[in-house]
This record gives sequence, C-alpha cells and structure tokens, in this order.
Amino acid sequence: MYDGEPFKPRVALHHLKRYILIGVLLVAAAGVLPTVEAQEISTLGGNPTLNITTGTAGSEPIPVVNTSVTLSYNKQKAVSKITVQTSCIGQRFTLKVLATGVSGGVAAPEVTLINGMPATDFIRDIATTGPKNRSATLQYTASATFSQGNSADLGNDVHTVTYTILAQ
Amino acid sequence: MPGSPYKKALTLALLTLSLSVFWQAASAQVYGSDFHTVTVTVATITDIQVSSGSVNLTITGAGVPAGQDQMTAVDQTTNLLWGVNSANRKVTVNTNLVAPQFTLKVLALNPTQGTAAPEVTLSTTANDFLLNMGRSTGTCTLKFTGIAMASEGTGTDSHTITFTVSTQ
Repeated sequence: MYDGEPFKPRVALHHLKRYILIGVLLVAAAGVLPTVEAQEISTLGGNPTLNITTGTAGSEPIPVVNTSVTLSYNKQKAVSKITVQTSCIGQRFTLKVLATGVSGGVAAPEVTLINGMPATDFIRDIATTGPKNRSATLQYTASATFSQGNSADLGNDVHTVTYTILAQ
Repeated sequence: MPGSPYKKALTLALLTLSLSVFWQAASAQVYGSDFHTVTVTVATITDIQVSSGSVNLTITGAGVPAGQDQMTAVDQTTNLLWGVNSANRKVTVNTNLVAPQFTLKVLALNPTQGTAAPEVTLSTTANDFLLNMGRSTGTCTLKFTGIAMASEGTGTDSHTITFTVSTQ
C-alpha cells in the first residue's frame, strides 16, 4: 500500500525547487542586464572641490561657484527626465546645483542638495527626437554662514551626488 | 490532476516568472544613473573692519562750568564690523600712541552679537573690547570719548587704533 506513495511529495518539492531556482536566476539576470547596457548618463570632469575662503565683515562668507563638470546623457525612446539627489553625512554647509547650457530638455530651478533628500527633478522634457547625445553644465554653488563654522573645526562636506535618467 | 504537487510547482514557477517580468518592466523606466563626489570646504575666516578711516574729537571746553577741570568730547559716528567662523573669539583694542597727552576711551555700543567689555582707556596694551562673540557676523557702534583736564593745556594726540580678533 505504501510503496512509492511517500516519494511523490519529494519529487514535487524537487521540481518546485528547480522552478524557483530558474525564477531566481531570471530575476538575477534581469537585475544584471541594465548594468551591462551602454551608459546612458555620465558626469564628465571629475570630482570638484569648492573652497570658501573669503568673507565680508558684517555680512557672510562669499559663495563659490564651480562649473567644471559636464553631465552627458542620451535621448531615450520615451520622453525622459533627469533627477538629482545627494548623500552627505553630517552636512553643515549649503550646496546647490543648476543645469546650464542644456542641449536637451528644460532645466529645473536650482536644486538645494540636502543629505538624504528624495530624487528631485533636475532636467525635464528630454525629447525623443533630435541628436542622441545631449549635455548640460553642472553649476555648483557652495555657501556658508559665519555661524556654521569652518572645516578646520568641523570637517568638510563630502557629497555623493547621483544623477538618474528615467522616463518622465 | 487538481491539487497535484506538479501543478502547484508549475503555478509557483509561473508566478515567479511573472514577478520577474513585472520587476523588469518596472525597472526599465530607469535608463541609467551616474554619480560623483562634490566637496565643500570652508576656510577659517576672520574679518574685522571699521566703517570709517578716521575720527576727530575736538575738546573745546564749551559748556563746561567755570571751575571744572575736566572737559570731554564724544564721537559715535563709526562702527566696527566683523565676521568670524571660529569658536571662542573676542576683540581686543589698543593704540600705538605710547604717551598720550590726553585720555581717550572707547566702548562697544549695542553689539549685535557678543557682550561689550567695560569702557576701555586706550593704551598700547591690548584690552578686551568685545567678548563671547561665538561664530558670528555683526556690528557695534564705536563710542570714543576724549578727556582733557584744563591743567593739561592744549595739543593734539594722534592715535592709530587697532582692533584684533583673538582667542578668548
């Protein structure tokens, strides 16, 4: 009566594991595929440092502007946009970024970069037509108040700024 | 074969595949991203200045009752402005005139930050003028008082007065 019966669930479990394994492999493959695609957006110009060195008595330190980095991106099959966000643990000073000289899309208003901020629109309405390669200059503006102190006492602000291109 | 282990396994596998496809479709909206680091440094900044280059106090004795030896003149037309982004700072004041004929005093009036020290009789030794400024920007009115005794006769004292930010 019991010959073979106890083995059926084992066989079923064996197949279930196989299918789950296949499913997991497909999910993993889906996760890997985007990373091997051509880079659709990139920052060109390295990692800038903005040094605030002078101030005005009775006023505040003088802000510093850097425009040494270019953002290069491609048009997509759908109208797309670029967002920006930053991570800067222990942020003390103010950093803003604005897209200037935009060759594809419309620059959003200047974005104040705050540690842990949600992704915020940076360039919108990137059309599906026209040249494939687009670019914009990243205009960073750093500012501080006297009451915020200095880097010798408190350390620098190091931002990891991420730009993402996605369907709008 | 309703309820058979094979059918359940197949259902689970299809469900896994469906989730995988859904995940792919959802993530496909993001075309790419890139990041770089942006560093903000703030130097130690110490700014201090007076609003005007020179102050003249003329002691005429006008209005002084006969028989009174002391005559004074007061000026409050200039301001001191500062900006300091280091903690524990104060302002001291001194003059370059080694042996003044008359007495000259100075007081910080209505400082927007910090605490005014008691009125200082100017000498070549630096004396506290403004305390507990913290990291701040601010201003105060400079109240100069020239004092002459009738017995000291006439003459002119020319002071070069220096305000210095130092560690408190």
